Amino acid sequence: MTRVQSWRNGRYIAGNYLFVLPFLAFFLVFTAIPIVQAVVMSLYNWAILAKTHPFVGLDNYVRLLDDQIWWQALRNTTWFAFLSAGAITIFSLFVSLQIRKPGRGRNVYRFLFYVPVVLSVAAMGIVVGWAFNTQFGLVNALLAPLGLQPINWLGEKELVIPTLALATLWWGFGGPMLIYLAGLQSIPRQVYEASEIDGAGRWQTTWRITLPLMRTSIFFVLVTQLIAHIQVFGQSYLITGGGPGRESYTSIYYLYQTAWRYYHMGYGSAIAVSLAVFILVVTLIQFWWNRRQAAVEY
Amino acid sequence: MKKVLALLLSGLVAVLGLSAQADATKPIVLQAGSANAKTKLVFWNGLTGSDGVTLDGIVKKFTDRNPDISVRVEKMVWNTYFDKLLTSLASGSGAPDVFLLHEFEIPQFASQGVLYESSEFFKPKGELDKADYEPEYIKALNWEGKTYGVPLDRHGWGVIVNKDLFKKAGLDPAKAPKNAQEFIDLATKLTIDKNGKHPDQAGFDDKNVVQWGTFASWPKPNFLSTLWQYGGNWTDGKGKATLDTPEAHKALQFWVDLIYKYRVSPKPAGFDGWQSLANQKLAIIPEGCWIYNFLVDSKLNFGVWEYPQFGDKKAAVWTSGHVMYMPATESGDNLVAAKKLITYLSQNTATWATAGMPPANLKVRAALKASEVPVAVTYGASFKRQGQFDTGNVAITEIIDKGYGPELDSALNGLKTVDQALKDANKAVQDILNRN
Repeated sequence: MTRVQSWRNGRYIAGNYLFVLPFLAFFLVFTAIPIVQAVVMSLYNWAILAKTHPFVGLDNYVRLLDDQIWWQALRNTTWFAFLSAGAITIFSLFVSLQIRKPGRGRNVYRFLFYVPVVLSVAAMGIVVGWAFNTQFGLVNALLAPLGLQPINWLGEKELVIPTLALATLWWGFGGPMLIYLAGLQSIPRQVYEASEIDGAGRWQTTWRITLPLMRTSIFFVLVTQLIAHIQVFGQSYLITGGGPGRESYTSIYYLYQTAWRYYHMGYGSAIAVSLAVFILVVTLIQFWWNRRQAAVEY
Repeated sequence: MKKVLALLLSGLVAVLGLSAQADATKPIVLQAGSANAKTKLVFWNGLTGSDGVTLDGIVKKFTDRNPDISVRVEKMVWNTYFDKLLTSLASGSGAPDVFLLHEFEIPQFASQGVLYESSEFFKPKGELDKADYEPEYIKALNWEGKTYGVPLDRHGWGVIVNKDLFKKAGLDPAKAPKNAQEFIDLATKLTIDKNGKHPDQAGFDDKNVVQWGTFASWPKPNFLSTLWQYGGNWTDGKGKATLDTPEAHKALQFWVDLIYKYRVSPKPAGFDGWQSLANQKLAIIPEGCWIYNFLVDSKLNFGVWEYPQFGDKKAAVWTSGHVMYMPATESGDNLVAAKKLITYLSQNTATWATAGMPPANLKVRAALKASEVPVAVTYGASFKRQGQFDTGNVAITEIIDKGYGPELDSALNGLKTVDQALKDANKAVQDILNRN
């Protein structure tokens, strides 16, 4: 009689844990311990090169509450994340709906739309910097024949964040597009056949069948995009330097400068922890809102 | 279809190539000298442009003369460089044997005890003579009574002009303005809208300017130079911020007026000064001497001026310097070899001037010819006559980048009034000074 393997069996459990050990080791070293370390450092006046690090309790957090640069950076970040995540969530869904069905050139379009995703943020920054240059940029050159004056895309207070969001949309919509395409493929064909028999048109099918059944994917894209874009850094750092003034200065940029340019690791950690709490609150609000909507089953 | 695919693949290769090229975190490496050399040095710097290539050439000459020493030169963009340098100095391992900083950064690093004290490079212990450098430069190397680093160059701010545009306007590019009013008059004559009108003429269309007279470029050196000329500074040197003063108002107002009152300069945000100069759309640009290689590469017919006198109290222009350092932990054979390298580089900077950088060593600077290195010669003479180093502070980077830099930018881009920008700058700088 062979002995049945059970999760209660110690050797069986140990064997399974061996499989997750590599991930666990990396997770502990590069994620869990740094998170705990950041929380601890935020309670100290921790200058990176200094020999001693005085304990200051919650002083860094109290200082942050009165720090106008932090609040401006957070406002800019929220506005950017709202625009980018919103635009990517909607636009990538629109594109995936257009290219989901087999047809001539479908793979070419998928390829074209996905290519910008492979660019590093540095390369994207160079391309966008060139494209939106006021004097010599491609975008203004294309607008000139329409009789439009050169637009100072990256130099005007009102335009700089929307321009960075537009660039991010071009750079980043390919990833969510793939998620949507996978989600669209998982919708049972029978549902569409039934709606066709019932006489539903294309518009009705999209609104009443596709979008409700894609809700999980849409919610996933929205949540992950918002989390990603609240952590925006490269666009502001490489394309505008946070300017004009501080109009495109973002929270992570402030964190980076505080910790690595000014060497205040303690205060930088307080910024990091506060931003993490902000992201958590935004995400919880999204989950709360999502739960309030009726679930769709098929 | 095949053509389309080929085009797409070419595009993909191009963007991937760009992606790889744009990876700013990877250093550009030069291995100078034999891999079997007895002593192996590592030299980090942030000179990723053609100036870095010039410095590589000097390092190669050093290893040719000293076959027992090899030097691995690693060049990174300045921000990446500072990240890596900071972590290597903080961890106490992996730090380079030799690295570059600016003189104004000495207090930041020296106050933490991570720099090697350098008085032994100078006579009587060493080969170098302090008399070969400007006294204010030697003074700028001091922190709490000790000397840190050995100067490589004295770079800084001056003015480059587009001679062709001057000639087209019937003006003499060799005749530099003597004061603020002459500068404004010149810039007015050189600013032209699409109808050929100048800013002082009725109907001038400032929305359609085809050629700008000048450009309020990098705010820090322009503002500091002008502020010093008016007799002010950003601090009294005793822990008090002094940016909300009449001198600071006059200095910033001058640059803001060039944009909004005299309409001879565009708003800085979104304006590419270097490309505009090269494309015959800008006549006068206040700029650093590091523009020299760009001027040569773009084949511009350019002239060089010493920084003009805008203020009414004294002559002054912002200068800085690349200074060579070793970590405080440097020891043994590497210490001996690093000292040799630093001494050699400091004595052989004539080639360095071909990158536009005036050598720090006055004897080397005096031997340069204006016909060969016009920027290094004119700027160098200007620095000797009126050059001023910024006031050192343990939090200088924070004071500039967080304290007053963005406020100057806000005023120049019309986001804040001069009064508001300077009040905010003063408060921010005072907060930083109080905390440090």
